[in-house]
Amino acid sequence: MLMSRGKRRFLTIATYVILVGFSTYCLFPFLWMVVTSLKPTDLIRSTNPSFWVPHPTFEHYDNVLTRSSFLTFFKNSMVISVTVTLAALLVSIFAGYTLSRFMRFHGIKAVSFAMLLSQMIPGVLLLIPLYLTMKNLHLLNTSWSLILAYTTFTVPLCTFMMKSFFDSVPLEMEESAEIDGCSRTGIIFRILMPVSLPSLVSTSLFAFLNAWNEFLFGFVFINDEAKRTLTPGISLFRGQFQTDWGSLMSASVLCVIPVVLIFVFLQRFLIEGMTAGAVKG
Amino acid sequence: MRDMHRAETEKRPLPAIRLRSSISPREKRFKRIAYLYILPAVVFFILLNAYPLITVLWDSFQFKSLVNKTLTGFAGLANYREVVHNEYFRTALWNTVVWTVLSVAGEYLFGIITALALNQNVKGRTLFRAFIIVPWVVPILIAGLTWTWMLTPDYGVINLWLVKLGLLKEPYYWLGELNTALLTVVFVNIWRSFPFYTISLLAALQSVSRDIIEAAAIDGAGIRTRFWRIVMPQLKTVSLTIIFIHVIWTAINFDFIFIMTEGGPLHSSETLPIMIYRYAMEEYNFGNASALASMMLGFMMSGFILYYLISVRKNRG
Amino acid sequence: MKLKAISGILAMALILTLLAACGSKGSSENGSSASPSASESASASASASESAGSGDSGKPITLNMWAALDSTEAGKKTLAKIEAFNNLQKDVQVNVQIISYDVMHDKLIAAINAGDAPDLTWGLSEWFGELNKMDALADMTPYIDKWEDKSKIFPNVLDAVTVDGKVKALPNYLGIRALLYHKDILAQAGYNAPPKTWDELLKMASVIKEKTGKEAFGIAGKGVRSPQELMMYLAQNGLTVADRQADGKYKNTWADNPDQLKKAAEVFKFYQDLLATKTIKSDAKTWGWEEEDQNFALGQYAMVVNGPWMEGRAKDNPDTMKDVEIAAPIYSEKPATFLEVAMLFPFKSDHPDATWKLASYLIGKDYQTEINYAGNSPRSDVQATNKWGKDFLALAPQGQVFPPVSLSGITTALEDSLARAMLKNDKPEVVAQWLSDAINESLRKTGELSGS
Repeated sequence: MLMSRGKRRFLTIATYVILVGFSTYCLFPFLWMVVTSLKPTDLIRSTNPSFWVPHPTFEHYDNVLTRSSFLTFFKNSMVISVTVTLAALLVSIFAGYTLSRFMRFHGIKAVSFAMLLSQMIPGVLLLIPLYLTMKNLHLLNTSWSLILAYTTFTVPLCTFMMKSFFDSVPLEMEESAEIDGCSRTGIIFRILMPVSLPSLVSTSLFAFLNAWNEFLFGFVFINDEAKRTLTPGISLFRGQFQTDWGSLMSASVLCVIPVVLIFVFLQRFLIEGMTAGAVKG
Repeated sequence: MRDMHRAETEKRPLPAIRLRSSISPREKRFKRIAYLYILPAVVFFILLNAYPLITVLWDSFQFKSLVNKTLTGFAGLANYREVVHNEYFRTALWNTVVWTVLSVAGEYLFGIITALALNQNVKGRTLFRAFIIVPWVVPILIAGLTWTWMLTPDYGVINLWLVKLGLLKEPYYWLGELNTALLTVVFVNIWRSFPFYTISLLAALQSVSRDIIEAAAIDGAGIRTRFWRIVMPQLKTVSLTIIFIHVIWTAINFDFIFIMTEGGPLHSSETLPIMIYRYAMEEYNFGNASALASMMLGFMMSGFILYYLISVRKNRG
Repeated sequence: MKLKAISGILAMALILTLLAACGSKGSSENGSSASPSASESASASASASESAGSGDSGKPITLNMWAALDSTEAGKKTLAKIEAFNNLQKDVQVNVQIISYDVMHDKLIAAINAGDAPDLTWGLSEWFGELNKMDALADMTPYIDKWEDKSKIFPNVLDAVTVDGKVKALPNYLGIRALLYHKDILAQAGYNAPPKTWDELLKMASVIKEKTGKEAFGIAGKGVRSPQELMMYLAQNGLTVADRQADGKYKNTWADNPDQLKKAAEVFKFYQDLLATKTIKSDAKTWGWEEEDQNFALGQYAMVVNGPWMEGRAKDNPDTMKDVEIAAPIYSEKPATFLEVAMLFPFKSDHPDATWKLASYLIGKDYQTEINYAGNSPRSDVQATNKWGKDFLALAPQGQVFPPVSLSGITTALEDSLARAMLKNDKPEVVAQWLSDAINESLRKTGELSGS
């Protein structure tokens, strides 16, 4: 680019300063969690908290992994989140395609409006009606209740994401396939899916993250420890009279790290996926 | 992710042959396909969203309290009246506006700064990108608890450091004072949400054509001019979309405020969703809770419609 | 077209039903396999699978019980002891579900509303009036009256679980409050005994601050603990939050009685004095229980009125907790303390006998001796085995409890009144008047206000 050397150097330095600053801001609480999880109990809550741990200990991790049901919670969350992701993806591919191609039908317009409306309902208010619904469907205290609820919560966003991606795919591609005698569903899967991998990945990540982090419904719908999910499970370390911060923090770190890894590995897709939908407008 | 609003305002090229008045068999087939494809989404909506939505609207006109069963039946506007006359209604309304506007504005600002920085060709970009995603994947509950602890005056690390660095004379209870509680939660909420903006805006930035920017540079446009004249217009669609969806999400958000302050001290950080929660889960008055929720829905929808009308007019003009 | 849509919905519904079928198989213990009937009534209906087995056929009845147990050793021990009930006999089996107090309330409300409450749950005393008003609790009076150990429960504890002459909850464990003090901090300031009255505390405070640099006292200004403390200070000045009137309903009478209003104002004046004289840290005005407990455990201030659970803090902060001793709470007019009665709530079902069987095991001597040995048993015949427990238990007779009315509006008002006094600096008289009105307004909303 055309810029004086001094200016460019200044810009580079400014960029680094900004990046380092924001990384600190972003990482600080997470690092605090990591540090706390490694501290022996008597150093965790002190009047002079420090980032330096003289004698790191893994006792909290040991406690979480061997003496609590953390692994069960983890497995449940994984199963539920993956199911939700697949279900939401399947539903929103078709719904997104419809919103993108057939907005001219009044019914479709109405559905798109209803989906937007559903985003405006505070979750607190859904608690009691949904509990009743789940009870009537005999789904309380089963993973299905959470799968259904989370899928419903994520479908609108996923649909909008898929829609904006499909908007950017030229119609000519479909038309030539149509002439070749491909069915509509065939077109979606054979023609559109292969070019939309990044969008699919970023949409899945959203769905997965939503399901993975949800807390309130996870707690209210599930009674049995064997079916409990991760965030409600972790909150059990907040005890009756005091919080077991060491275990709470190690469990949190163990909960966050897989998702961070997934995001780091897939972040290229994430950004490409957003690019595809977002810009060619 | 892009816009719900744009599709309406823009004229899409219609697929292939479209006959004038009568509906062609092909169009009929399209219609069938369209409804079939959207059906699963609709089923989810009806099963788990429509029913609660209708219950809320219905209950808002009923006397419905779990602890006072002497009053039942049609209430007319009594619930609405009671809610509006609540001592803290106006505070909560104002807090909701402050909370939403400051959060979204802060998130956008941080988002665009980090997106621009990450779009530069610097070393360690991938690493920085990974760091910035972290807040977004930490569950809200855990983030809220950790921040609350870090912000405590007597054994929280933030106050300790601020005092050590000489920025504060003595520890300050950020979440416990009337005038800082809400702002502190806004700060934490920005921390949590801005990475989403970063990713979206970064995605958009990466497809801004370098050629145009360089051409502008050759024409003598400075950095500022290039940013405001060339880059920003290209980000407009994405920006409007993320802002739009976040205004909705932030306004109805409940978790962060509830985990960190429960709306206190003395309702100074209470927003409408917290108030709805209080009506429902503390007073067990579902009539009042539903009335407030309906009003909130009304506010947001009128905002949405207003925005839509303005954007349509702009497009025409 | 429409037909297709409808058949599509039906197909979807069918799939959902199938899913539901496999779902409920997994949870048959929870009794979710039948009977959606009770959804209208707020009363907790029995789940069908349990009632099916409730005859004399010999099949055991399975009870669902929610317990706020944590993952500490004590929590695990309690769980084992509850589950030991299953081996004692065969007729009634308990299925313990661990739900923390954080979310138990909301979960309970959702469950009651859907007619799906557990058979027995742990719970806080603050919920008692509300659950009673929701008509969700089972009447245990006939069982208690026949129970040979009835006289062993502290009388004021038994009162706390009685409403309109009916016993509708059972005491699970106690949280008696006492004055805890750091002996070393007092000694450093030249005192060898803690204060007895509010005035003594205020007088000692400046000396303590001067000699040790630490504040003398701690309070909770917000959260669940602050109304409990406020109620205790009111009681120490001879006041109650709401009194039962001749018509069987309740009322706060301060506004009708200048003397009472004056006394209430004195309480708020006391809070303001604590702050003004730096007897408490300035941020204590919005401390929750966690800050109050943690700062005391860290030795940040000298004295606090707190419960027996503070002993558990010695593990996390051994150095700063080793000098802690116990005395009676300070008072103004009459000695009083807050008696927290953690409750067991029995919900309506068609097998109250089974619920009682489990409940009587949990309040029985064997269970209580083994679990609540640290001065937190509601039974007078369970001796505390440690020094702490003994000191706390000695205070049980002067314990005050909340009135059995719907409390959430009232506790919110109590919490707000503290903020008005300490954050907004309203005049004590104004705050007292406001609180009196707010309490009666809350009673009016729930239909419990006398004369309405």
